[in-house]
Amino acid sequence: MTFSISINDAGVIRLSIEGELDAVTVSDLRSEIEKLLMRQIGRVEVDLTQLRMLDSSGVGALVSLYKQVRARGGEVVVLGLRDQPLAIFRLLRLDRVMVGAELKSPTPTAPSKHSS
Amino acid sequence: MLGLLEHRDVALRAVSAACKLVSRRPQPPGLNDFRMHVVSAVGEAFNNIVLHSYAGRDDGVIEMEIRTDPDLITVELRDYGESFDLDAVATPDLDLLPESGLGIFIIKAFMSIRYRPGRPNVLTLSKSLANEPADSSARGNPSEGDS
Repeated sequence: MTFSISINDAGVIRLSIEGELDAVTVSDLRSEIEKLLMRQIGRVEVDLTQLRMLDSSGVGALVSLYKQVRARGGEVVVLGLRDQPLAIFRLLRLDRVMVGAELKSPTPTAPSKHSS
Repeated sequence: MLGLLEHRDVALRAVSAACKLVSRRPQPPGLNDFRMHVVSAVGEAFNNIVLHSYAGRDDGVIEMEIRTDPDLITVELRDYGESFDLDAVATPDLDLLPESGLGIFIIKAFMSIRYRPGRPNVLTLSKSLANEPADSSARGNPSEGDS
């Protein structure tokens, strides 16, 4: 799994996750989410266009992010779901609360890249 | 193989490849969903064994046997750790957006499941391609389990 975080001029945080978000990789993302939550949060866009595999551990991290951002008055929108991650989202009915209508083009920023 | 999360990828690649063997046709209707569901379910089962049956041990063993028949795949996972009671696992309330306790729910939604506690514990997952509708991902319809 690799992920990157960027923030545009409007303060929108974009979290892009690639590869596999599962029990093996989720701890890396969770620690980064904890850091993310220390800043003022408005809108968080989670781009899963390049995510190939999502398991219940990964779902737990995304739902945790959603709940914590919402508790701070922000919003989380998941973009770019397809294939296996989309099947998991639909099964767990997460598509009703977290999925954006379309994948918007990110504002160019200098993302920080992480991998595990 | 050793019951380590790092070995799960190897198991899932084998399962994914085996899904192609359930049909003589190279790309039968529903195969993509079938494979996604089987890989998802087996992945959750593997997680459960590592995290719960072996609970942090790094010397546990998982034996995996994959059988394919026309339109059917059966994956048997055997472990020598703690047994668990499938019936004691509560169905999660999805409206509450649970952050855990979803693994068994995913397994049951995507495959038929049998569990025999003992030494070894034997978890048998099966799925019929014949019950799979044409790929929902292409149509944008919700995915549904077959058990």
